[in-house]
Amino acid sequence: MFYSLYASFFRWNLANPANARFGGWHNYNLILTDASFWNSVFVTVKFVSISVSIELILGMAVALLFFYRFPGDRFLRAIMILPMVVAPVVLGLLSRYMLNVQFGVISFFTEYLGLGRIDFLGDPGLALATLIVIDIWQWTPFMFLILLAALQGVPEDILEAAKVDGARSRRIFFDHILHLIRYPIAVAVAVRLIDAFRVYDIIFMTTRGGPINVTQTMSWQIYDAGFKSLDIGYAAAYSWLMLIMVIVAVTLALKLILGKET
Amino acid sequence: MSHAKTRLHINLQSRKKLFTWARGITALVISLIFFAPIYWMILTAFKSGNEAFTATPSLFAMPSLENFRLVFSQNDFGRALSTSLFVTTISTLLCLAVGASIAYPLARVRMRGQKHIAFWILSLRIIPPIATIIPLFLMLRAVGLTGSIWSLVLVYTYMNLPLTIWLLRGFFADLPIEIEEAAFVDGASRLRTFFNVTLPLSVPGLIATGLLCYIFAWNEFLFANILTGANTRTAPVGLTEYVTPVSVEWNKIMAAGTLVVLPVWIGALSVQRYLVRGLTLGAVK
Repeated sequence: MFYSLYASFFRWNLANPANARFGGWHNYNLILTDASFWNSVFVTVKFVSISVSIELILGMAVALLFFYRFPGDRFLRAIMILPMVVAPVVLGLLSRYMLNVQFGVISFFTEYLGLGRIDFLGDPGLALATLIVIDIWQWTPFMFLILLAALQGVPEDILEAAKVDGARSRRIFFDHILHLIRYPIAVAVAVRLIDAFRVYDIIFMTTRGGPINVTQTMSWQIYDAGFKSLDIGYAAAYSWLMLIMVIVAVTLALKLILGKET
Repeated sequence: MSHAKTRLHINLQSRKKLFTWARGITALVISLIFFAPIYWMILTAFKSGNEAFTATPSLFAMPSLENFRLVFSQNDFGRALSTSLFVTTISTLLCLAVGASIAYPLARVRMRGQKHIAFWILSLRIIPPIATIIPLFLMLRAVGLTGSIWSLVLVYTYMNLPLTIWLLRGFFADLPIEIEEAAFVDGASRLRTFFNVTLPLSVPGLIATGLLCYIFAWNEFLFANILTGANTRTAPVGLTEYVTPVSVEWNKIMAAGTLVVLPVWIGALSVQRYLVRGLTLGAVK
């Protein structure tokens, strides 16, 4: 890590390694004045915030659904585990196949519904939304499992009180139960935030930053700078800016969820 | 009077039953939505080339193992799978060995700054891998390990170590200390107690932790893509080779994808209980 901090202050291109020289804030200046950097910040923030918040809400809803036992719940819960351990590379390929314009099963459905065949990954207006949906598919189960485990740790008497139907149970849920499980919620959100920032495999397999630049996240741009343009100094400086952003985002989220206690 | 009471009771009970059913069905529908893409992948893996490319997809297929046969015979995917198997197994074992020897003292010896370990582990996770890959790549190149299987073994061990230490510490701490004390009294050394008493007792924890490491290393793509050469591809990297500008043979890709995912599913389902604990760094037990 320190090596990369050191490298971030150099003008250093692997295509021309002998020419590495100290550049001071050069790389940072270059990045911060670059419109494509701000575009990718915007894309990343959109991707991370929308997908994580939908995952949290959906995951909570499903966890509440599974909270009281019903026949077959263990089996269904096991099925819900499957998406999140699918290798992202496999998921990327699978979504490309299912979303294919000519023979993908999803385009078949959209045509059946009278919407025509839609190029979800190729349309600049839809590509990012599609990636968000893929992320939600994979990670809602994660939120669900954690929130379910958290709910199961809530003391019996509070749950008994919440069982009484009507407005009262809703209030107990929002005032007390959510407060009791705030710590697991915070960890789940933090873990998801961190992982969503590093999204890479899926983009590699599907859109590769395109169409144009609508899915160019920060992690994708770093890869681009480091391994295509071989500009090590630039990529290292970029990594540091991204790290700062992740830390700020996680701190903000934790403050928001845990309140003033932290 | 009591008659009316019973009727009310039955009424309430049937309402409750109805409610349970409604919830069960909703849950079934939701699970099916989450399962559908997986079903589609496995189904396509068993389809013939023509069936995979029709404009009106069919929900069922005459199962044929042809794709799996082709995956192994044509594209050298068997080799990628065995590389993956080798790398993940070695790195998992290394991780457990190193992790256990660090986690045990952490669980048993009281010392200052113990509370900060959680923070340390979380902070190691915060660093995006894309940020570490470049210095890592340069360092591995300096010692001439790029393109070798061992670079991946090293990287995966390093990647999974914080989580391993954290989880094993939890498992060791859960063991009743009295058992170890009893062994002590009988004259066993600290080391012997650890190997003959503590380790056998924590086998379930070791298996759960090992499987999590295994899953993470098995699915990893970024490092594998950059650090492997033509002969040392792992399965996820091997998968990307199927996508060529000329033709994309989806049914074969899906067969290969199924082969990549299947072992992980079996592993994940068998450690269900620990999965949550592992994924949240032990925040939820």
